[in-house]
Formats: sequence, C-alpha cells, structure tokens
Amino acid sequence: MNLPTIHWPHALACLLVGVTAVLLCFGALVTTYDAAMAVPDWPGTFGHNMFLYPLKAWLWGPWDLFLEHGHRLLGALVGVLTLGMAAAVWRRETDATLRALAVAAVLLVVVQGVLGGARVLLDDKTVAKVHACTGPLFFSVAIAIATLTRPPRLAAAKPELSATGGDDVLRPDRWKAVAALSTAPWVTAGLLGAAYVQLVAGAQLRHLDAAVDANTFRWLVALHLAGALLVTVLSIVATGTCWWLEAGAPRRLALMILVLVGCQLLLGAGAWVVSWGFPADWLPQSWTPAQATVARSARGAAVVTGHVVLGMLILGASVVLALSTWALRSSQRPGLGKERAFA
Amino acid sequence: MKSQSQIVSRTLVRLHSSWAVAACGVTLLMCVSGCGSTPAAWFRPNMVEATKQRLTPDQERQVSTVMLAMFGTPDAPVAPPETGLDEAKLQLAAGPVHSDIVGRKNGLYREHCAHCHGVTGDGLGPTAAFLNPYPRDYRPGVFKFKSTERSDKPTHEDLVRILHNGIPGTSMPSFALLSPPKVEALVEYVKYLSIRGETEIALMRAFFELDDEAQGKLPETREFLVDEVLTPVTEKWKSAADALIAVPEMASDLDLAASIAKGKELFYGDKANCVKCHGPTALGDGQANDYDDWNKAIVEVSKEVKSGLERAGETSTSGMDSEALAEHRGQLAWLDKFGRVLDGGDALRPRTIQPRNLRHGIYRGGRRPLDLYYRIHAGINGAPMPAAKGTVPPEEIWHIVNYVKSLPYELDGELGADRPMVAKDRF
Repeated sequence: MNLPTIHWPHALACLLVGVTAVLLCFGALVTTYDAAMAVPDWPGTFGHNMFLYPLKAWLWGPWDLFLEHGHRLLGALVGVLTLGMAAAVWRRETDATLRALAVAAVLLVVVQGVLGGARVLLDDKTVAKVHACTGPLFFSVAIAIATLTRPPRLAAAKPELSATGGDDVLRPDRWKAVAALSTAPWVTAGLLGAAYVQLVAGAQLRHLDAAVDANTFRWLVALHLAGALLVTVLSIVATGTCWWLEAGAPRRLALMILVLVGCQLLLGAGAWVVSWGFPADWLPQSWTPAQATVARSARGAAVVTGHVVLGMLILGASVVLALSTWALRSSQRPGLGKERAFA
Repeated sequence: MKSQSQIVSRTLVRLHSSWAVAACGVTLLMCVSGCGSTPAAWFRPNMVEATKQRLTPDQERQVSTVMLAMFGTPDAPVAPPETGLDEAKLQLAAGPVHSDIVGRKNGLYREHCAHCHGVTGDGLGPTAAFLNPYPRDYRPGVFKFKSTERSDKPTHEDLVRILHNGIPGTSMPSFALLSPPKVEALVEYVKYLSIRGETEIALMRAFFELDDEAQGKLPETREFLVDEVLTPVTEKWKSAADALIAVPEMASDLDLAASIAKGKELFYGDKANCVKCHGPTALGDGQANDYDDWNKAIVEVSKEVKSGLERAGETSTSGMDSEALAEHRGQLAWLDKFGRVLDGGDALRPRTIQPRNLRHGIYRGGRRPLDLYYRIHAGINGAPMPAAKGTVPPEEIWHIVNYVKSLPYELDGELGADRPMVAKDRF
C-alpha cells in the first residue's frame, strides 16, 4: 500500500495559515481589550525569558496578560513556522516568484515582530497602527503561498481550478464565460486591494488615540464607510462575474465572500452599537434599548473582535479568489482565442 | 490538460508585474498609516471662555502656566491638597494605558472615557461630534443626574451610580463590569477634571476684576490662587454630601390608582406643567426649541459674533479718529478670533435638547422611583427641566412619579387633552 507523500511546502503553508489566523484573533483581542501594554518589557515578559514565563502566571494571571503574552508566544510560533515553510519552498519549488513570496513572508514576519516590540518599548499607537496593517499583509502572503503550492494531486481532484474549461464545443452562452474570464481577474484583484485598504482604515479607527481631533475621526469613519461600500460593490460584481466562469470553485468562493461581506456589514453596525450605542440621530427613538450598553462585555468584545477577524477572512478568501481567477485565465485563454469564442 | 505547475508558473508570470504595483500600493498605505507620530496628550485650554473674556495671548499663557503648576499634566496629574482628592486613585486613572508590575491596569480614563469626553474632560473627544447627546463637558462642573439640589454638586455615590448603570438612551455605557477600585479611580479623576476646569474658568474670569495696578496680570500668590480661586470650587464638592434632597416617604397605604390620577392632574396642571415640554401625549412632543446650558453657551456666543460682525460691516471707519479706529480693529480681530475658535474644534455645533418621551420607559438618570423623584423635585441641572420644588409640595411629587411610571403601560384611554395615542406614535 502506497502512503500519500506529504508536499511539505503546501503542508507547512497551510499550518502557517491556521496558526496565523489564531494569532490574528489574539491580536484583535489585544486591541479590543487595550491590552498591548499588559507586559511592559520586550522581548522578555516581566523580566523572564518569554518562553520560560511561568505557565501558571500566564494562564491564571490577568486577562490582559493572558492575551498579550499569548499573542507573543503565537507570534514566535508563526516566526518558526515561516522559516520552516520558507526553507521547504526554497528546497522543493523552483519558481522564482514563489521563492520570492517565501522570502517576503520571512521578511514580513521579522518586521512584524520588531514592530510589535517597538509598539511596546515606545508605547506608541502609530507603531501599533503599522503593526495592525502588516499582520493582514503577512496573512495574505501566507495564504497565497498555500494556494500556489497546492500539489497537482489535489488540483486534479478539483479540476475547476486548473482545467482548461471543459469541451471545446462552444455553447451559445459561452461568450459570457469568456468575457468573465477576462474580467474576473481584475475585479477580484480590485476586491483584494479594497479588502486590504478597508483593514488599514479599520486599523486607524481601532487604534485611535484619544488626543486626536474630531475631524481626524470623522475622516476615518468616512473612509471606512466608503471602503465598506467599495468592498460590497466589488464583491457583488465579483460574484456576478465569477458566476459565468465554467469553473465552480471561484463561483462558490465569490458567493462565500459576498455572504461574508453581508455578515461583515452587520457586524460593523453592531461594533458601532456596542461601542457608542444606537445612533440617535438616524434611528427612531423607539429603537433605543432600555438599558445602556455594557462596556467591556464579552458580547461587545465578540462583536468588535469578530468584525476584525471577519475582515481578515474576507481578505484571505479574496487572495484565494484572485489567484484562482488568474490561474483560470492563464490556463484557458491560450487555447481559446477571442475570435473563436465570439464566433 | 496542462500540469498544475505550468499553470502556477504562468499565473505567477502574469502576476509578476502586478506584484510591483501591489507592493508599492501597500507600502504607500502603510506609510500613510504610520505617518506622523501619536499626538501627545495635553490639557486643551478653554479657548471659548478665554476668548469670551478677551484674554490677551500673554494672559492665556499665564493661565496655562498656573494650571500646569496647580494640576500637572494628563500623564502626571497633581491634586492640590485643598481638593481632597486621592492622588493614588488619580494615578491609576491618569496617563497612557499600561499595566504595572503587579499586572494592575493604569490609564483607565484614557482607556474608557477619553475618546468621548476628551483628555481634558471638555466633551471634545474624537468621537464626540457623532454622539447625541454630546458627551458631558466636565469643566463647568455641572452634572445632571444626582441626589442633591439643582445647583449643588453630585455626591461621590451619584457619580459611581452613573458609571455603574450608564445612561440609557445615550452613548454612555455601563461600567458595571469594572472592579469597584477602578470605578472609584475613574470617579476621582472625573472630579479632578471638573475641579480643574472650574478653576481654569474662575482664573479666566478673574482678569475682568483686576485693577489697573495689576497691569493685566493675575497675582500668583497662594492667597489668591488657593483661597480666592480654588477653595470656593472645592468647597462645593466637599459639601455635596450635605446637600442631599430630603425625600418624604411615600405613604404605605397609598391608593396607587388615586395617586396616578392625582399625578396626571399635576402633569397637565399649571403647578407642575410637565405638559409644556413633554407634550400632551407625554411623547416628548412639547416645546423642543430649547438648549441645554452647554449648547446654549455656544449659541449665545455665536449670535454675539454674528451680530458683532454685522455691526462692524455696517460701521464706516472714514470719520473715526485713531483711537476709535484702533478699537474698531481690535473688535474685528476679537470677532475673527472667536469665529475661528468656534469653528476650529473648540466647540461642537449646537443642538436643541429633546424633551424625554415618557412612554418608552427609558429614564436617563435612573429608573428607580427615587431617581424620578430627584429629577422632578430638583429639575435637571444644565437642562431646561425646571424644579418642582417650591411649586409642588414634596408629598405630591410622588403622585407625579407614579403617573410617569405608569405612562409606558397606559395602553388605551384618553392620553392627552386633544390627542389620543395611536400606534404610530408609540413606534
């Protein structure tokens, strides 16, 4: 009996994506609970070597300490995994760009670690903002590597990601598929960019310093709302475009992103409500709940943190969708010229 | 069928040029994100009051210097002993958010309050403009919901209660999940900011009473700063606990239906005249063109600036002598400065205050009958809600309380003199 061989670059990249997702959840919780300065030193933890900090003090200590120290430990784990993944990619993959992506992941994880340390040592929210922008960027790179290192065996199991698009006999509505094939990569790339910009705008709001003026906050809210509109429109267009693709995976992925964006809009509104209550100017008075919102409630923290995490998921899914559509375009267009398609 | 590696390779080649564009975009975004440094926390001077009192730049500087010496900075607050404030509690609430060596969180005010109330406690935090009602400006030392008479300060317990319960119907959340020491620290810091703000206003107003010998400069002696300026402010806070409203007990054999009927009579009658603002249906649809004190102050100075500019525009300078011309120019410069202060982030756009819809059962100052008694007896300080004290006997205030408490459950019957309640009014 032949045991399946492990394709290490892909396996490690997938593991990296999973651990990074947990790391990002911890990071989002650290910001929600304003726990970034729960441990005043770096790279140590209250004078201990970070890895030798007593388990009991961590797990049974203050909640803020649990989050911040956990975030650091997960960050270290992600660093080690990134090195392993990069080594595997370098050894097993020959493509220069894939190798470059692996190097970019290593650089990003190092930069991210240093930024995290600087945020603590300088106690500076500006560094925190950049730290919050680098996290999703690294997550995107990790997902891109995991997608592109997918072994042929797995690709064969799902031919829609790599197939040439089925038979060469043109159906009457085939021209729509061809048009979608040329449009979808650009739309999905736009969606990916917009999802990232939206996370950057959200990071500015999340790390808002109390000393900034009202105009700054007003502009940031406007930017975040405009970003939400852009992501919503692009996800609708992407779904509409991918719907005509002959491959099923991008279609399902785009639909999933659209659903996630819908949930994200609800969570965004929820994040406002749990932070500042119902906007009295815009809603009928009778909508106002009889009780005040409770600051630092688990439900409130879940809504706000969930909004951030879902934003990361939308970004990650957008990476896969963009790569899928580009891969389809690469695989199908050479064999299916426009003249023939529209004939 | 092409192999997966070929497709990946082709995809990467196609994406190759896009990488450069994407990398540039991301770098640009991160640079924008990280551009500039975090602004240092500082106590913003009360520029509306300073301009209203026509302080010169030198006088503004003197006030800032004195305030710094007396009260320190947001990161290192100082409480003069006369305030009676607990320094340890202030240190816990002040400064940036961080945990100390024993894992105790510091910087509580900036973590929980400053985004709305502002670092200075001026109600001008970054989120303030989005909220309705605006967050409280502590500087005038006026608080709405308390157990003391209208013009008195709230007690320590009043502020603790507000933090614990929040203010339903507004953006002020409940901090019931914070530990009592943290709530205590926050209350102490709110009192500190309020005393600081009131002292600043008193100093600015003191310039008006200076004689010629002072040459436009405040005396920086202990007698003046502490005895004449600070002590009158702190005494009011210290005496708050002695100014509790005396509440008569509600009769144990009270006929509730009769009490509600009596309360309704008072509600619509001339003595209490609640109907004037809360409306004939108690939906808050009465007089709604008034302002609270904070907004009224801005409305008044805005009117003053506007009418001053109009008058200045109509004034001809051709026949003026040099002294009159200099005075005219000084007035124009002052009006111009005031306009810039009002538009430049030192004040929020005034909003009228909406009388409470009493049929929702949402009571901002607390839902206990006792809380309603306090509101009706003393009115709401800083708001147009007048005190019934003096016009309605204390025992009869309970009737109004009972009627108000019954309003959300009054499902049928005649609600107002001329307007029955319909479903759309309720929802």
